[in-house]
Amino acid sequence: MNLERVIFGFFIILSLTFNFVFVVGDIDNPTHHSVWILTIAILVNLIATGLKLGDRSQVGALLLAASLVADLLLITARVVWVVYQNDTPLGPSAESIVTIVSLAGGALLANIVSVIILIGDTLMSRR
Amino acid sequence: MAATSELDRVSMLVLRYMRRPIFVLIIVYAIGITGMALIPGMAADGSPEYMSLFHAFYFFTYTATTTGFGEIPNEFTDQQRLWAILCLYIGVIAWLYAIGSIIHLIQNMHFVQALSEYRFSRVVKKITEPFFIICGFGDTGSLLARGLSDHRFTAVVIDRDPERIKALSLRDYNVNMPGLCGDPSEPKHLVDAGLQHPLCKAVIALTSDEDVNLKIAVVSRFINPKVHVICRTTSSKHKEQLAPLDNVTIINPFEIFAQLLSMAITTPRLHNLNSWLVRAKGIRLGQPLNVPSDNWILCGYGRMGQWLHKYMKLNSINPLIIDPDLEGSTGIDRFIKGYADHGTLSDAKLDTVAGIVAGTDNDSDNLNILMSTQVLNPNAFTIVRQNHHANQLAFDAASVDLILQSSLTTGRRILKYLISPHIQILIDYLREQGEHQTEKISDRLIASIGDQIPHLWSVTLDTKHAKEAIDLLNTGHELVIGDLIRHPSKRCELLSCVPLVIHRAKTPIMLPEENMQVYEDDSILFCGTEQSEQLLASTLNNAYTLHYLLTGKDVSRGFIFRWLEQLARNKKSSAA
Repeated sequence: MNLERVIFGFFIILSLTFNFVFVVGDIDNPTHHSVWILTIAILVNLIATGLKLGDRSQVGALLLAASLVADLLLITARVVWVVYQNDTPLGPSAESIVTIVSLAGGALLANIVSVIILIGDTLMSRR
Repeated sequence: MAATSELDRVSMLVLRYMRRPIFVLIIVYAIGITGMALIPGMAADGSPEYMSLFHAFYFFTYTATTTGFGEIPNEFTDQQRLWAILCLYIGVIAWLYAIGSIIHLIQNMHFVQALSEYRFSRVVKKITEPFFIICGFGDTGSLLARGLSDHRFTAVVIDRDPERIKALSLRDYNVNMPGLCGDPSEPKHLVDAGLQHPLCKAVIALTSDEDVNLKIAVVSRFINPKVHVICRTTSSKHKEQLAPLDNVTIINPFEIFAQLLSMAITTPRLHNLNSWLVRAKGIRLGQPLNVPSDNWILCGYGRMGQWLHKYMKLNSINPLIIDPDLEGSTGIDRFIKGYADHGTLSDAKLDTVAGIVAGTDNDSDNLNILMSTQVLNPNAFTIVRQNHHANQLAFDAASVDLILQSSLTTGRRILKYLISPHIQILIDYLREQGEHQTEKISDRLIASIGDQIPHLWSVTLDTKHAKEAIDLLNTGHELVIGDLIRHPSKRCELLSCVPLVIHRAKTPIMLPEENMQVYEDDSILFCGTEQSEQLLASTLNNAYTLHYLLTGKDVSRGFIFRWLEQLARNKKSSAA
């Protein structure tokens, strides 16, 4: 067992799970989606991106690309939240939350790609 | 002479052929349109009206091409109808004439030839990988093309026989093999086939006419001195003419054949290794033939027989020669003059000999000799010369100890030379070293590859093929060959491959030990499985795998982990 691989895998899988936690629920129901979860997901994603920086292998490049895509989409979702948070006293309206959750859903896809690459690389090296 | 491109020739032919029909069409159109515009028509209200030039052209176009939309814009007057009849006839005739000319042109043999040459040279120009030019697509040529295709090399084929070029296009090669029907000794055809192409690696002259082969070799040397020329010739006169030229290799099928035979007799293990490397059928490494070393009969004393005799003499074997015409032959002391039939073979005491070579240039004679041998001395070692590839099944069924097919041996030798030139150097080296060394290398190959199909490939350690390995060498690390061939998944195991030759600064290093260091620009010849080639190629381009193979430890990936590792190391060193 390699401590480095544990930490690396932990953050990549954690960013996927937080992303999922935010997306899950009705797409147009603002009460199903917490802004706190979204913010934590962005934070974990950024840490995962940082860990991927500086890897010279082909797989490393692909992992970094997937991570950057997820960052971009999650940060866009957070910006949209800031813009529409005054729609109603409780936060964004149903129409706005659809946009936010769709963006986070795209990030989820990128995170899934990341995890698949991670698993594939680990299985390929077989050691 | 300025080189005219094939496109110029094709377009010129079309223009010359179509000049008259096009003139006829223009004149007919002009007459019809002018007439239609000059003849007065009648408007719907009865007032006279002239057709505009554009309408006249429109009317004539649909009339001349027999489309016939009718009388537009107004109903025609009788004068107009009269002219319309004329228009119809002359227009249709002019078009028929033009179309007939085109069809005639398409059926013209010279045009078809020019068009196919144009297409061919266009395909050749588009080749983006190194390729070879094969002149002559007979038995040897097609075997060579098949072998090159198996190794994913492109070849351009020129043959005089259109049937063979047609056959070429029906083969299922792994790569594109364009073929041109034409005289390969004509410089224009060689240039069309890509002789001046920067990626053209070699010209191989394999036609049945040796004078043509000589001409191809000389022409290629003049047009592109950088291209390697391989010329098949059996005449010593040609050999003398070509020998002084550098970059020219002369292949004598009879000599190669005799070399192989002598290899089988004197160094059976090397023969076994060689046959295994060229993937000969039914060969298992480590099971050499048990060839008797004396008491032979040699049937056939033509050009091939003379070479065989020469090589047998070099190995101090004095065979009994049987041949119908032995006039003017010197240096033979044991011979029987006559056809090698049952009677002659009985006279030659076939029942007491150890081995027999059926080496005539006639396959049915050779099969007859085999039949007699089976009756008279079933235990004799039989070596047979197969002349035609088509007779393969008959020879396979005859249960011979060794079949040597001239086209096959020649094709394999050339292929070996093109794919991995170092392997022949290794074979020559092993012949000098003796059977002991061959046995050692065979045992290593058996242990490493076993029953899998052997695959030969070369890796050059340069920035294009092994970027990370070069980076490692440039930062002062040492790289030994034994580490490179470790398995990227499990360091303690080795890939199924054996390094055979390291080519460094034009000097080959034979059979390197595992602790042999490698440097930039070394070219290493491996024998192994295709899978191990892929694994090795990816290892050489992956810094992390290389580090693991060298040290057994995984290096940290990414800036943060590297920084953390550095931090931990500093702490450890300060504590100590």
